[in-house]
Amino acid sequence: MTPIDFLQGLSEMEIVGGLTVLSLVLGGVIMTVGIIAAKIVKIIFFKYYAPTLPQDTAKNFGKIIYFGIIAIAFFIFTSVQGLDFSGLLVAGGIFAVVIGFATQSVVSNLISGVFLMMEKPAKHGDTIQIPDMGISGTLLDIATFSSRIRKFDGTVIRIPNEKFFTSNIRSLTDSTVRRAEAMVGIAYKDDIENAISVIKNEIQLTMPFVLRIPEPEFRVEELGDSSVNIQVLVWHPRDDWSQAQPHLLTTIKRALDKSGIEIPFPQRVVWDAKD
Amino acid sequence: MSEEITQSNFSKYGLYTVNENLELTLPDTLIKFERIGENAFSYFRQDSEGKIIEKMIPSKSDELKIELAPIRPLNYPARRTGYVFLKFDKEIYLGQNSAASIFVHCPIEIGIFLIHDSKPESLDWVTCNPINSRFGLYGSPDTGTLCKYAEVSLATDFSDSVPYVEGVMKIVIENNLESGQTVSKVIFPITDNSLYYEDSKSILDGIKVTLKKRAVVSIADVQTDVLSTDWMKSPTWEASTSNTPMEMGLE
Repeated sequence: MTPIDFLQGLSEMEIVGGLTVLSLVLGGVIMTVGIIAAKIVKIIFFKYYAPTLPQDTAKNFGKIIYFGIIAIAFFIFTSVQGLDFSGLLVAGGIFAVVIGFATQSVVSNLISGVFLMMEKPAKHGDTIQIPDMGISGTLLDIATFSSRIRKFDGTVIRIPNEKFFTSNIRSLTDSTVRRAEAMVGIAYKDDIENAISVIKNEIQLTMPFVLRIPEPEFRVEELGDSSVNIQVLVWHPRDDWSQAQPHLLTTIKRALDKSGIEIPFPQRVVWDAKD
Repeated sequence: MSEEITQSNFSKYGLYTVNENLELTLPDTLIKFERIGENAFSYFRQDSEGKIIEKMIPSKSDELKIELAPIRPLNYPARRTGYVFLKFDKEIYLGQNSAASIFVHCPIEIGIFLIHDSKPESLDWVTCNPINSRFGLYGSPDTGTLCKYAEVSLATDFSDSVPYVEGVMKIVIENNLESGQTVSKVIFPITDNSLYYEDSKSILDGIKVTLKKRAVVSIADVQTDVLSTDWMKSPTWEASTSNTPMEMGLE
C-alpha cells in the first residue's frame, strides 16, 4: 500500500457528518502548527516587546496573542474542511443561555478585568489599600479574572476582579510624600507650647526621614477628660512609612519624658456630698 | 559642629596608598584599612551615630589605592532624590533687570573610593553632619519634588568652606522681570554639579538662576554653571542619573 492509497483510505473513513479521519488528522496538524506558532510569537513578544510595557499589560497582551493565534488556526481548520456548524447553533443557543447563567460571575470578573486594565487604578508594584476588605499590600498583577496582592505579612491574596473593580482602592504610592500621625495627651498643668516645642525638637533630631518642609504640624485636638490631646502630623518620603509612623509615638514619649511633661492616666475627681 | 573642626585634626581629602594599615579620621567618624592577607584588606568605618560598617576587599596587587573626596549630599539617610532645596538664612532682594552673584554654603557628604586601574570605584560614604541632613518637599504632596533640604548661610568666597560639612557654591541670580523680586530659596538637580576639593575644603559647580516671564507666568529657570578651577575634581559617587533642569514658580 502506497502512502497515497493510505491517505485515500483515511479520506474515505467518515466519522460523522462528512468529517473523515483524514480531515481530523489534517486538523490536528493545523492546530499543532498553530499552537507552536502561538508559542514562538509569545516568546518573541515577551523577549523583545514586553519589557517596554507595564507588566500587567504585557501579560495580558501575551495571552491575547497566544489564544488569538490558536483561534485563527481553528478557523483555518474549519474553513479548510468546510465544516458546517449551523446544526450546532440551535443547540448552542440553548447551551449558551445555560452557560451564561452558570458563568455569570466568571464573565463579570472577565469584564471587570478588562475595565481595570483600561482604567488602571493601580499598577504592578504599587502599594495599595482596599479599605472595604481590610487589605493592604503590594499589587502583584491584574490578570484576566482576578488580581493578586502581596500583603505586608508576606502572604498573597487573590481578589476576583469584580470585587476589586467595585471596591475603593487607596493608592499609597501615587504621591511623592505621605503623612504619619499620632495623638498624645499631656497633663492640664503642663504648658502646651513647651510640649509642642520639645516634641518638634526631638522629631527633628532623631527622625531623619521626617521632612523639614512641610514642617511637623501640631493640633490641639481635644480638651479631654484627663488630658489635653495633641495631634502630631509629620510628612515623610512615600516609601519610608516604616521609618516614620512606627517610631513617632516612641519619639514623642521620649521627648515628653526628657522634659518631665506628664502623660496622665485617666482620672476622675470624686466630690463628697457633705463637702 | 563647624567651630570644633580644625583642619589639622582630621585626614585631608586626597589619594592614599594602603600598604599595611591606614587610619583616617573625620569629625566623629573613624575609617580603618588593614591588611588581612597577602592580597586582601579589611575596611572598617564607624560614623557619628555609632553605626559600624565592615567590608573585606580582595586586591590583585599588594597595595590598595583609595581616594577620600567630597560628594553630593544625597545619600543620608537614604538616597531618594537627586534634587537639593537650599533655603537661604537671609532673603536676597533683586531690583528689576538686575543681577547678583552670591556664595552659599552647600552641604556635602564624603565618599571613600577604591582606585582600580586609575578608575575610582565607590566603596562607602559618610556624613559628618547627619542632624542637618534632611528631606524637604517643593510643591504639593501629590505632585511636588522631594529634595534634600538645607538651611544655608551666605559665604564670603570659595575659601569659606566648612571642612567636611559644607562646600561653597556660587549662585548667579538674574532678574529679567519688570519688578523687584525676593529670592529666599533655590531648588535644583545637584546631580549635574561636580565637586572639587583642596586639603579639607570643597567647592561645587555653581548654578545660574534666571527670573523671567514665560507667557504670563513668572518663573525661575535654574541651570548648572560649570566651574573652572585648579582644585581636584571629586569622583562621582552615584551611578549617573539625569534630572530635568528645574523651573520654580515665583510666589
